[in-house]
Amino acid sequence: MNTIDDFLAILRDELGLQVSTQHAGLNLDQVADWDSVYLLSLLTILERRTGRGIPLADMLEAATLAEMYAVAVAA
Amino acid sequence: MLFECHRAGRLAADYPAVRDMIAGLSDEDLVTAGQLLSRLDPADVLREHPGTPVLTVAITGHGTLSPLAGSITAELARHGLLARTCVSSTGTGSYVFDLGDPESSLYAAAPDLILCVLDPMMIFDEVPLPWRPEDVERIFTEKLAIISGLAARFEAGSGATLVLNTLPLFQRHTAQLVDHRSRIRLSAVWYEGNARLLRLAAEYPAVMTIDLAPLIAEGIPAEDPQLSQYARAHLAPQLLARYAREIGHLARSRTGQTKKVLALDLDGTLWGGVLGETSADGVEAAGTYRGEAFRAFQRVIKQLGSQGVLLAAVSKNDIEPVRAVFSNHPDMVLREEDFVRIIANWHPKHDNLIQLAKDLNVGLDSLVFVDDSAYECGLIRHELPGVAVIQVSAEPARHTTRLLRDGWFDTREITEEDHVRVARYRDELARKDFLDSFDSLDEYLSRLEIKVTVTRIHNGDAALPRISQLTLRTNQFNLTGGRLQPAELRQLLADPAASVVTIRAADRFGDNGLVGAVFIRRVDTDATIENFLLSCRVFSRGIEQACLAAILREAHDTGATRVFGSYQATAKNEKVKDFYLRNGFTQDAADGTSATFCHDLTDIPEIPPHIHLTNRLGENSP
Repeated sequence: MNTIDDFLAILRDELGLQVSTQHAGLNLDQVADWDSVYLLSLLTILERRTGRGIPLADMLEAATLAEMYAVAVAA
Repeated sequence: MLFECHRAGRLAADYPAVRDMIAGLSDEDLVTAGQLLSRLDPADVLREHPGTPVLTVAITGHGTLSPLAGSITAELARHGLLARTCVSSTGTGSYVFDLGDPESSLYAAAPDLILCVLDPMMIFDEVPLPWRPEDVERIFTEKLAIISGLAARFEAGSGATLVLNTLPLFQRHTAQLVDHRSRIRLSAVWYEGNARLLRLAAEYPAVMTIDLAPLIAEGIPAEDPQLSQYARAHLAPQLLARYAREIGHLARSRTGQTKKVLALDLDGTLWGGVLGETSADGVEAAGTYRGEAFRAFQRVIKQLGSQGVLLAAVSKNDIEPVRAVFSNHPDMVLREEDFVRIIANWHPKHDNLIQLAKDLNVGLDSLVFVDDSAYECGLIRHELPGVAVIQVSAEPARHTTRLLRDGWFDTREITEEDHVRVARYRDELARKDFLDSFDSLDEYLSRLEIKVTVTRIHNGDAALPRISQLTLRTNQFNLTGGRLQPAELRQLLADPAASVVTIRAADRFGDNGLVGAVFIRRVDTDATIENFLLSCRVFSRGIEQACLAAILREAHDTGATRVFGSYQATAKNEKVKDFYLRNGFTQDAADGTSATFCHDLTDIPEIPPHIHLTNRLGENSP
């Protein structure tokens, strides 16, 4: 996972969410397909992809998909 | 495959192929597949494929359980089932409201299975600070009282199965007690609590408790501290996925898709060495390190066989040397009489499996096939997608784990019938040989000396578990496809208008046992046969005609003027769709998949002359 597009592709292909670049900067409550219940599954997938532990507390505080991506790559 | 199918937006359209698409996925990929599948609307799948078997699974419990829905969906899809999942808002104690309130959204979903997932934090969230083992004991006891109460009330109300689980005990809790005495006391009260959760399943037939300890012992993480702390997801996703696999097998047996036959390769699977390259004495089944490993595996196979799993050997070998190994080799645990069939020839194995299913009169999807050869396993997967394939490795010490990891033969409970099933099927093969010695079927049937007994049973009858099992296992001669768990059967029998007639059969080759059941509802002068079931071992011998005639005669003699019968099409009961028409009923109504029939009792069919019928219907009249 090297770019935010890779991240969005994971959301589409592995979680089945309809998201594209235009959703990345939106507040999460404006992303129609997003629901916080996906966060746990997403965390598991990202940890598997990156081979690193990702701080869930920071992920929970992320307000946009782009911020989640930033947390995931900073880990 | 699945991921491409999802990208193309064809998952609902291609749902029947999903089972094969996910058959070979790793555990991790299966979790992802479950995520995608759980996003499907079951209604879309049913619109495209109306015959897909559906199971509604309600999920409640303590803590966050949303990841479980995906795993449940994937595990049910592995068995060709479509899951309709609903996850209740899982907060502290919400399961108590979900289960305790008959008006809750959980019951509104009319679930077949209710998963009440319990975790250790339901105890530790409530202990005071500082805490002692006595505090844990007190809170565990309180929770058990609540759960027992829910189980008791649940038992009375619903046809569903309530699934509980034991609570794992984490080292981060035990180690908070620094003295060993207290720590031991904590473990003791904890396992006593778990034992009581397990005993609830014995007390209430509609309750099941899954013991998580053996699953965790496979090396699966039980918790993820981050998920537990921040998301209140107190059991690790890997453990929930493993738990979902157990639920998948429970769902499979509930929908009647029981695996019945274990077909085993021989060389490299049941014994070491290649029989064709050595002598009968040269194969390894004890004595050496590897030989002992094969012997241990054979003991497990024998253990499964003793519980009603039909064993068959399917080997590329000549038959004589194979028979010689089973009869003369001193180290074999398994002997010829443990198998219903020993097939050793040079035909492709899929042809042999097709023939085996035909001889035993079971569907191909009742078979589990075990082989150490990647080629043979691949061939069967490709040619016979309904067969469950287990590839064992070159290391026989791992065979048992590999075989048992998936609970292919899991069943709610076993009955007397299961202990003698192999003998029954072996009798059947003797009947086939006997049949070959006659010119006509009539002559054969009359020489078979078939004895049939029909009896009306009452609640509390020792035959109840077997009748429930018949409804769960019988697919072909099951007029409506109806299934009844033991608790539902008891509920039915409590209804004074309903009665259940059992069919027992025997012939010159032996006792067939309890082979059928007829569910009848009587309202004034109308009797309705709600379902008619007969084991696939015995149909087409006149037994079904004899029983139907006896039931019609009894209805007539007790003042009924009409008997109705119904048929509901399922994937497997096509061959009985004209059963009522062939026996003097006229069609009353029909749509594409169901039909009702009526008999006016003016001309009641005779009992076929080759059947010796003992009619005990009057002895237990309602």
